[in-house]
Amino acid sequence: MLSRVVFSAAATAAPSLKNVALLGPGVLQATRIFHTGQPRLAPLPPLPEYGGKVRLGLIPEEFFQFLYPKTGVTGPYMLGTGLILYFLSKEIYVITPETISSISVIGLIVYAIKKYGASFAEFVDKLNEEKIAQLEESKQASIKQIQDAIDLEKSQQTLAQKRHYLFDVQRNNIAMALEVTYRERLHRVYKEVKNRLDYHISVQNVMHRKEQEHMINWVEKQVVQSISAQQEKETIAKCIADLKLLAKKAQAQPIM
Amino acid sequence: MASVVPVKEKKLMDVKLGELPSWILMRDFTPSGIVGAFQRGYYRYYNKYINVKKGSIAGLNMVLAAYVIFSYCFSYKELKHERRRKYH
Repeated sequence: MLSRVVFSAAATAAPSLKNVALLGPGVLQATRIFHTGQPRLAPLPPLPEYGGKVRLGLIPEEFFQFLYPKTGVTGPYMLGTGLILYFLSKEIYVITPETISSISVIGLIVYAIKKYGASFAEFVDKLNEEKIAQLEESKQASIKQIQDAIDLEKSQQTLAQKRHYLFDVQRNNIAMALEVTYRERLHRVYKEVKNRLDYHISVQNVMHRKEQEHMINWVEKQVVQSISAQQEKETIAKCIADLKLLAKKAQAQPIM
Repeated sequence: MASVVPVKEKKLMDVKLGELPSWILMRDFTPSGIVGAFQRGYYRYYNKYINVKKGSIAGLNMVLAAYVIFSYCFSYKELKHERRRKYH
């Protein structure tokens, strides 16, 4: 079957080859046919699960299907029986001592296979599966590793895109620092100005107070000076007379 | 030969009985062709019955049966003398 594909490819390539033969050997290199078909075995197709079906462990199923349209289901078995009887009767198969030994050996083998075949197959399948699982695991590990590397690379790439956040933060910090120093200086200016103004106010207050005290003292001194000796005696006598009157009044009232 | 496809390109199952001699003669009998034929046959059998996940004993069985029959054919000449009856 593969040879037919090769032949058909050669047939399609034949014209170019014929032309090349006319041109000469030097040009042959230029028109050589390279692999232009699709790579058919990549990725590798998975192994089939079961082999071709075989009946009686000897005869492939295709033979039975081949005879089915003409002879039905029992055809191949009849053919087999007929052939065996024919070989025996015509002694194309000769019965020798070897026949008996081979019958017993084959019987034993068939019995052993029928009895232990399934468990042996399971055991071997398990071995196979372990091997495959190991390989699969290593493949997955390497795939995961490469995937992690890819993710890391991608995240680093996106980080490069996010540099502007860093610069924004720095800009914000600087703006805030500027603001803070501006307000600090404003506050200082305010304090200084207030200080100066307070100074003037306190100076005014002090002057005011001093003038008031001075005036009061001066007025008191004048008044005390103005009270002459004679006026003092008169005032004292009047006060004593008032007091006596008041005492009489006060004595009179509780008795009532 | 009133066939649509030239005889060269057919598979064996599609070749009609009358075309069989010409088909056989058409085959590639160079050494590399013969080796290629053996290789193809081997890989066809191998990939069908042995190179599978759950192969059965039939893959090996058929090879042993073929060997038994083949060796019986070659030793028939000596076995002929051990026949029980001369005339069948």
